[in-house]
Amino acid sequence: MSVKRDPAPSRGAFVDFAPEATSLEVSGFGLWYGDTAALRDLTLRVPRHRVTAFIGPSGCGKSTLLRALNRLHDLNEEVRREGSIRLEGQDIHAPEVAVAELRRRVGMVFQAPNPFPMSIYDNVAFGLRLQGGLRKRRIDDIVEWALRSAALWDEVRDRLQASAWSLSGGQQQRLVIARTLAVGPEVLLLDEPASALDPISTLKVEELIRNLKSSLTLVLVTHNMQQAARVSDYTAFLQDGELVEYAPTDTLFTNPRLRRTENYITGRMA
Amino acid sequence: MSRWWRGRGRLPRGEGPWAWLAAGSVALSVLLLVLLLGLLAVRGLGHFWPADVDRVTLSDGRVLAGRAVKEAPLPGDAGRERLYRTDNRDLDGALWDWVPVDAIERVDHPDDLVVLERRRWGAFVGRLVAWLPEEGERLEGEAAWSALRARLARLERQREAIDRLREQTLLPLVRRLEHDAAGSTAALEAVRARLRALRAEMAGDRLLLESVDGRRLIQPVEAVLRAARPNAMGVGGKLVAWAEGVWRFLSEGPRAANTAGGVWPAIFGTILLVMLMSLLVTPFGVLAAVYLNEVAHQGRLTRLVRIGVRNLAGVPSIVYGVFGLGVFVYGLGGRLDAWFFEDALPSPTFGTGGLLWASLTLALLTLPVVIVATEEGLARIPDRQREGALALGATRLEMLTRVVLPMATPAMLTGVILAVARAAGEVAPLMLVGVAKLAPQVPVDGDFPFLHLERKFMHLGYHIFDAAFHGGDVQAAMPLIYATALLLVLVILVLNLTAIFLRHHLRSRHGTLSQH
Amino acid sequence: MRDAAPDMPLRRRLRQGRDRLATALITAGGIGVIAAVMAIGVFLAVEVLPLFWGGGPGGPEVDLETLWLPQSYPGLEAPAHRWQPTLPDSDPGPRFGMAPLAWGTLEAAAWSLLIAVPLALGAAAHSALFMSRRLRTRLKPTLELMEALPGVVIGFVAGLVLAPWLERQLALAATLVLLLPPGLLLAGGLRGALPGGLRRRLPLGWAALWLLPWVGLVAVLAAWLAPSLEAAWFGGDLRGWIETTLGLDYAGRNAVIVGMAMGFAVMPSIYALAEDALSGVPASLAEGAQALGATRWQTLWRVVLPAASPGVLSAVMIGAGRAVGETMIVLMASGNTALMTANPLDGLRSLAASIAIELPEAAPGGLHYRLLLLAALLLFVFTFLVNTLAEVVRSRLRRRYRRLGGAP
Repeated sequence: MSVKRDPAPSRGAFVDFAPEATSLEVSGFGLWYGDTAALRDLTLRVPRHRVTAFIGPSGCGKSTLLRALNRLHDLNEEVRREGSIRLEGQDIHAPEVAVAELRRRVGMVFQAPNPFPMSIYDNVAFGLRLQGGLRKRRIDDIVEWALRSAALWDEVRDRLQASAWSLSGGQQQRLVIARTLAVGPEVLLLDEPASALDPISTLKVEELIRNLKSSLTLVLVTHNMQQAARVSDYTAFLQDGELVEYAPTDTLFTNPRLRRTENYITGRMA
Repeated sequence: MSRWWRGRGRLPRGEGPWAWLAAGSVALSVLLLVLLLGLLAVRGLGHFWPADVDRVTLSDGRVLAGRAVKEAPLPGDAGRERLYRTDNRDLDGALWDWVPVDAIERVDHPDDLVVLERRRWGAFVGRLVAWLPEEGERLEGEAAWSALRARLARLERQREAIDRLREQTLLPLVRRLEHDAAGSTAALEAVRARLRALRAEMAGDRLLLESVDGRRLIQPVEAVLRAARPNAMGVGGKLVAWAEGVWRFLSEGPRAANTAGGVWPAIFGTILLVMLMSLLVTPFGVLAAVYLNEVAHQGRLTRLVRIGVRNLAGVPSIVYGVFGLGVFVYGLGGRLDAWFFEDALPSPTFGTGGLLWASLTLALLTLPVVIVATEEGLARIPDRQREGALALGATRLEMLTRVVLPMATPAMLTGVILAVARAAGEVAPLMLVGVAKLAPQVPVDGDFPFLHLERKFMHLGYHIFDAAFHGGDVQAAMPLIYATALLLVLVILVLNLTAIFLRHHLRSRHGTLSQH
Repeated sequence: MRDAAPDMPLRRRLRQGRDRLATALITAGGIGVIAAVMAIGVFLAVEVLPLFWGGGPGGPEVDLETLWLPQSYPGLEAPAHRWQPTLPDSDPGPRFGMAPLAWGTLEAAAWSLLIAVPLALGAAAHSALFMSRRLRTRLKPTLELMEALPGVVIGFVAGLVLAPWLERQLALAATLVLLLPPGLLLAGGLRGALPGGLRRRLPLGWAALWLLPWVGLVAVLAAWLAPSLEAAWFGGDLRGWIETTLGLDYAGRNAVIVGMAMGFAVMPSIYALAEDALSGVPASLAEGAQALGATRWQTLWRVVLPAASPGVLSAVMIGAGRAVGETMIVLMASGNTALMTANPLDGLRSLAASIAIELPEAAPGGLHYRLLLLAALLLFVFTFLVNTLAEVVRSRLRRRYRRLGGAP
C-alpha cells in the first residue's frame, strides 16, 4: 500500500473487508443521550479473528460504540439510536434477537475487574449455569479450559473454591476474561482492560489478547497508544463521535493520512 | 470458536415471571397508599358537603328523611338494605334507620326540608312549620325561615359576647379570688349579672318543627346552632357551606362527647406540644452531636455510643412513654409536688401527666433523630474548613460557632423537622404522660404564667383513638374521625415534604461546595 | 486589630479561657444528654429488679415459672396461661403469665412480616433494577413517605374500616389474594404476546404505573368471581365454613388484620433500606453479569442479591423491630384478647398494647406496675439487640462495597 501523502487530504484512510471476512458490520450508526449526539453516522467493518482497536480522546465515543455492540445501552431509556449493527450478517437490534443470546455471543470485559462476590470456580461457571442443562463434569471441563485459555489455570488450580476477591487485580481481570470465554463468545469486547492494572499484569493481559485472536474476534478500546500498537491489527481513530481514520495499525501509527490523527497520536505517544 | 458445549437449556427471552411479581408489588403498594389517602380525603372532606336530604316513602306508607350512608345485603338472598342517617334522636330514640331497598317506593328531595344543628339531641331533619317568638306574631312558611336565619345570626354574636366575657373578665376574676379570698366579690357579681342578662336575651323564641312523618315538636331557638336547607341550595351555596363547615371543624371545640363539632383544642394541643418538644430537643440534640463529632475522642467508645444512639431511634415509642411516666411524672413530678405544691396535695400538680412531661418524653424520643441528622451534617463539612478557621487563629469555640455550625444549620433543621414529623404522629407514649380525652382549658391563657405546663392537653392522634374506641356511637363519629385523620396525615406530610426539600437543598449546596 | 495589640495577651487568655469553658460545657452537656438517653435501659432494669426479690408485699411469688409457664387454677383441669394482673389480691394464685402477651407480640410481628417482606423486597428489587430512573426518583420518596403515616391512622382504618369489611367480604378478599399473583404473571405474558409497537408503549421500567389499572381489573374480576366460588366450595358462607368445618373462631379484629395493617406500616422502612442495599451494589457487578448474557432478573438473583444479602437481612430485622414495638396499630386492630392460640383469625394482645392500656391505671411501685415495666424492658432489650445486630451487619456491608470500589 503505497499511499502518497497528500498535504491536506480531506478524507482519512478507510480500510474495508469482504463480507465473508467480517464479523461485525456497523453501518450509518448514530446514538444520542437525550439531545446530545454521542456517535454520528459511523460505518465500519470489524474483521473476524483479528484484534481491532478503537482509539481517540476521552469523550470521543469509543466506549459508547463498544457498549452499543452488545446492546448495553438498552437499559437506558434516554438513549436513541439509528443505523444498524450486524453480527455475522444479522441485525442485532432485530426483534427476534434475544438480547441475552446476543450478549453470550458478544462477550465484554470492563475497565475495572468486576469478579462476583463468590468463588473463582463459581465466577467462571456463572454464565454456564445461567443456561442450565449442563452436567457437573462438563462444567468442570469448561471451567478448566477457560482458565487455561485465560492463562490463569496454573495460578488458581489449587484454590478454585477461594473467593475471587482474594486474587490480585491482574488475576481478577484474567478471571473476568475466563468467565467471558467460558460462555463461548464469537466476539470479545475489551473496554480499557488494562487501565487499572500494574505494568506486569498489563503485559500478561496483552499477551492473552494476542493468543485469543486465533479463535475470537477481539475489539479493544484503549487510551494507551503503545498498547494499541502492540496488540491490534487494525486501528480506528474516533473523534467527537465520528470515525476519522480506520487503517491497519502499522499504517495508522507510522503514516496517518490526516493532520489531526497525527497530532493525537504523536501527542499521546510522547 | 464453535458453541460446542451449548446446553440443552433455553435462554429466556424476557425477564421471566418473577419480574412481574416484583413490578406488581410496587403497583400494589402504590395502590394501597392511594386507596388509603383517597379514603381519608373523600370521607374526611365529604363529611362537610351539605348533601341533599332524601325523603323516602316506603311501601308500607312510612315516610322518613335522611341521608343514605351505606348498603349491605340482607341475610339469605333477601335483597339489600340501606342505612339512613335520619337524626331526630329526640323523636326516634336513634340516629339510624335500616330500610330494605325493595320496600322503597319513592325517593324525592323537597326543597323545604331543613337541617338544624342543635346543642342537644344532635341534628333535626324535617320541616319548619312556624316561628313562635316570645313577643310578636307567629310566622309561617318563608317568613318563618328568614326570621330564623336572622335570629341565628344574632344568637351567634351573643354567644361570642358571652364567650368573651367569660374568658376575659370572669375567669381571671375567679382565679384572683382563689388566691386572694379577701378580694372584692362585688365585681364578680356584676359580671355574673351581665352574663345572666345576655343568656336571658338569647332565650325565649321557639320553633315549631315537624318531622316528615308528621310528628311535631317545639324547639327553643337558643339551642339551635345552625340551620340549612340543603335541597334548596345551588352548587355555589353548597360550596360556601362546605368551606364554612371545614372552617368550623378547624376552629371550634368538640361537642357531644367528641362525636361532633371541631378539633381546635386538639390542633392547638398538638402544635403546642410539638413546639415545646422542638424547643427542648434542638439544643440538646445539637449539643450531643457537636460533642460526638467535634469534641469527643474518635475511638472505639465513641463509635459504640454512636451506634447506641442510632439504635435508640428504633426502640418502641411506648418504652419512652414508660420511661416518661416512671421518671418524669412519678419521679420528678412527685418530687416537685412534695417541694413546691405541698398545699395542693394529695391532688397532684406536676405528679400527673401534663404538657411538660409529654413534651419532655417526646423530646427524648426524637433526640436520636436530631443527633443523627446533625452529625451527618457535621461529618459532611470538609476538614479543610475547620483547618482554615483554626489557621486564622480562631479558637475551637470560634471555629464551631462561626464556621461549622452555620454550615450545618440545614442539617439541624432537617433533623428537627423529621423529629417533629415523628412526634406529631406519636400517640402511644402520650397516653401514659398526659394526653386528655377532653381538656376543658387549653394550656395557654391570659392568666399568669400564661403557659400552664402542668395541664393536660388534647391531641389529634389521641382524638382519633378516643373517638374511634371510646365513643358511644362510632358510626356517628366516623366522618369526624376521617376528617381528623386526614388533617393529621396532611400535617405530617407537609412536615416531611419540608424535610425532604431541605435535605435536597442541603445536598445541592454541599455538592457545589465540594467541587471547589 | 493593630490598635488593640497591647491588650492581646489578656484578650487571648480570655478567649482561650472561654474556649476551654465552652469545651468543658459541651463535653458535660453531650455526655449528659447521651447518658439521659441511655438511662432508659438502666431505669427499666432497676425498676423491674424488685419483682424478683419477693414481688409485691404479701403478693404472690414472681419467678420465671409463674411468668412464663402455664399455671393450674381451681376449676380448670389443665394448667393454663392467665394474664389478669388486675384481679384483687384475695384471688389465689398468680395470674400474670406473660406468655400470651409475648405470643401475641410475636404473632402480630410474624404476620406483618409475612405480608410486608415479600411486598417490600419485590418492590425494592423492581425499583433498584428494573424501574426507569425517572420514575424511581419520584416513586421512591413517595413510598418512603408511607413510613411517616401515623400508626393511629392506620390502626383506625384497619380496626374500623378494614375489619368490618373483611368480615363481610372474606370470600372476596381470599379470591383477591389468590388471583393477584397469577393476574400479574398473566399481565407479563399478555404483554409478551402484544405486537411490538404496543409492547414498547408498556415498558417494564414503567410497569409500576401501567399495572395499576390492571390490578384494579383483577380486583373487579375477583369481586365478580367471589360469590360463585364461595357458593361452589364453601356453601355460600366462607366464614361459617371456617367456623364449622375448620373449627376456628373468627374474631372481627384478628391477627390477620393486624398483620395487614402493620405490614403496610413496616413495609416502607424495609423497602427503603433494602432498596438502598440493592442499588448500592456496584453497577460493575450487574453489568458484568449482563455481559455474560444474564437477564436482569438472573442478575438480581445470582449476583446483586447475594452481594446485598446482609443489607437486605438487616432491613428485615429493622422491620421486625418496628413490628414488635408498634403500639397503636395492634391496640386498635387486634381486639386485645390475651389468647394463646395459633389461629390467625382470633384476637391477640401484645406487650406494647398492654402497657398502653394498663399502665395509666397501675399504682406506681405495685406488682402490676412492675410487671408492665418488665414488659417494657423486654421490648427495649429485644429491639435494641435486633437493631444493633442490623447496624453491625450494615456497616460490614458498607465496608465490603468500599473494598469493591464503586462502579468504573
